[in-house]
Amino acid sequence: MSIMEINGGSVIAMVGKECVAIACDLRLGNQALTIATNFEKIFPVTDRLYLGLPGLATDVATLRERFRFRVNMYTIKEEREITPETFARLVSSTLYEKRFGPYFVEPVIAGLSPVPSASGKPEKWEPFIAATDLIGCLNFAKDFVVAGTSSDKLFGVAEGLWEPDLEWEDLFETISQTLMNAVDRDAFSGWGGIVHIITPDKVITRTLKARMD
Amino acid sequence: MANASFYQSAGFDFSNDVRNQFLQDKGLPLPKATSTGTTIVGCLFKDGIVLGADTRATEGDIVADKNCEKIHYITDNIRCCGAGTAADTEFTTALISSNMELHALSTGRKPRVVTAMTMLKQMLFRYQGHIGAALVLGGVDSTGAHLFTIHPHGSTDKLPYVTMGSGSLAAMAVFESEWRPNMEKNDALRLVTAAISAGIFNDLGSGSNVDACVITATHTEMLRNFVKPNERAVKERNYKFRRGTTAWKMENIRSLVVDETVTLIAPPVGGDAMDTT
Amino acid sequence: MASADGGAYSYSLTVFSPSGKLVQIEHALATVSQGTTSLGIKASNGIVIATEKKSSSLLIDSSMLDKVSVICPNIGIVYSGMGPDFRVLVAKARKSAQAYWKIYGEYPPTKVLTQEIATVMQQATQSGGVRPYGVSLLVAGWDINRGPSLYQVDPSGSFWAWKASAIGKNMVNAKTFLEKRYNDDISLEDAIHTALLTLKEGFEGQMTEKTIEIGVVTVPTTAELEASKIGAETGRPKPTFRKLTEEEVRDYLAL
Repeated sequence: MSIMEINGGSVIAMVGKECVAIACDLRLGNQALTIATNFEKIFPVTDRLYLGLPGLATDVATLRERFRFRVNMYTIKEEREITPETFARLVSSTLYEKRFGPYFVEPVIAGLSPVPSASGKPEKWEPFIAATDLIGCLNFAKDFVVAGTSSDKLFGVAEGLWEPDLEWEDLFETISQTLMNAVDRDAFSGWGGIVHIITPDKVITRTLKARMD
Repeated sequence: MANASFYQSAGFDFSNDVRNQFLQDKGLPLPKATSTGTTIVGCLFKDGIVLGADTRATEGDIVADKNCEKIHYITDNIRCCGAGTAADTEFTTALISSNMELHALSTGRKPRVVTAMTMLKQMLFRYQGHIGAALVLGGVDSTGAHLFTIHPHGSTDKLPYVTMGSGSLAAMAVFESEWRPNMEKNDALRLVTAAISAGIFNDLGSGSNVDACVITATHTEMLRNFVKPNERAVKERNYKFRRGTTAWKMENIRSLVVDETVTLIAPPVGGDAMDTT
Repeated sequence: MASADGGAYSYSLTVFSPSGKLVQIEHALATVSQGTTSLGIKASNGIVIATEKKSSSLLIDSSMLDKVSVICPNIGIVYSGMGPDFRVLVAKARKSAQAYWKIYGEYPPTKVLTQEIATVMQQATQSGGVRPYGVSLLVAGWDINRGPSLYQVDPSGSFWAWKASAIGKNMVNAKTFLEKRYNDDISLEDAIHTALLTLKEGFEGQMTEKTIEIGVVTVPTTAELEASKIGAETGRPKPTFRKLTEEEVRDYLAL
């Protein structure tokens, strides 16, 4: 039994063609006892940027609020929206500040980052995903990142199913199947799932039909 | 007085410590932090230094990152390879890099390798080994080429060829048999590649690609993914699911584009609408 | 009993006069207007900041003096007024820029850094036991969102963005001169020449590379921007602010 397994939960993010997807399960447990099946672990940061926080539920709630505060302060002070790269750095330094008394979460960041163009307004968006460990070591992946109690299983399934340049409709299938098949072999995750697909002009959120045991 | 570091208080924050201690006392182990099992090396050659590293990051027995960067920037003429707790190597080198930049600005000189080495060892000694960073520091400055290893407790060595991390024995075996004084750049680069490859293929904690960095008095050349001996083969089939495979209960689409329709109102036939009689 | 911070016996010297003025701030501005002239011009493709470097004695080794300072690779500042106060502000500004870098992995935008310095200066108009800083600053920098921008900060802690501005001894004349010379599509090269011409007005003694200091902000190309992104191998962006060397200043003066 580890601290991550007290409340359970998993998050995965994948890169597609001009889109990214981030998905999580919906379980909140008290060790082996499931106490809620509507516990979302993914939170919006900006229009095209989402943050997944699997881990100890009390820290999930605390950090969600801390990041909301920090991002709001950033937006007001700098008069601009935070980019995924900058936000990833902010998450990392916030966690490392507590190097010797950490929050028990493994954040996953997924979003589209604006490509600067001559006109100043972003016309192109580049997929961005990243994950950190509980003390803020960043991992910028080009394909997919996983976190939570079923991370081992997610790694395995994603390694087999992911392929480059998936359109958003195909990315939805790939990430959903990866998540559901992995959490079905994890006692601490599951009980439904939710997927967000971020494209340049819309965000599609779908609640999955999954095993409820 | 406004604190210069308005953005972050200095040092670490221990406010979660009591709670975490309580959880640990209940017998719950801490989740594993990413570590770089790692093979990192450095060697002196005729005109400078070659540094090398593998690119595997591990979380227990899982490969967390197949292509991470372990050669960290300190200044233009100094780089540092890191092994150990990944977050510690990342943040320790970033902190020293930042301090070196301040130091360079206030002295108005090109920074020296010993300065970085002293800053690193003093910091690591202060934390008594709790910051798990094992480093290979190399660079060229006004006093010549220098190569150091720095251990997590703050001890340092200055040697012509060094290795660190879990693959250090494999890499050192290569150096011990093949290193010669005053090698040419390409020979040194070949030797470093061989040493890292020894780690990649014989040590479980190391893997994937070879990163290298050549530092001379006039130029620093970062050779990211210099050799890629473990490229993933292209999948022979694709494993795409047919669209509609996954059943979902609810969908919400948030449009990020503001739709705008312009309805042109045609002017009334027969001229001005306003009665001007 | 006097406590470490001065306690109840430390009275601020900045108390409103009945007419609503803070005389200490006005005195600080007087100090600034006795200082050597500095100016900044924003061009279409960059910014120039320049100042006159005057030493009180022939015997002083003027290579020691630094009036244009690099804060971080994208921002530089110049001052008029008290040298020692400037030195303190430079140290604080550099620290603040590094603190920002350690959190966000990038250097602060010009406006944010200017705001930080301005906050430090404002604090000195309201705290016990201190006096206002005796300097005005010109902050020049480049950032991805606002491009090149030029700010002036005064001892009161107020700051504005300028297309061109001058501070110090000849500021009124210099500003009039700049108003006549400035147009929106001036190039950086022309701006450097205009800066030197402006300084020439009311310059005492010989204008040489030893008595002039210049800093420039240049706008990076799209290729340079790509190279400094996360995942790129350099680890640091190419500086967009730099001080001109004595040779470069000499070449501009010769033209």
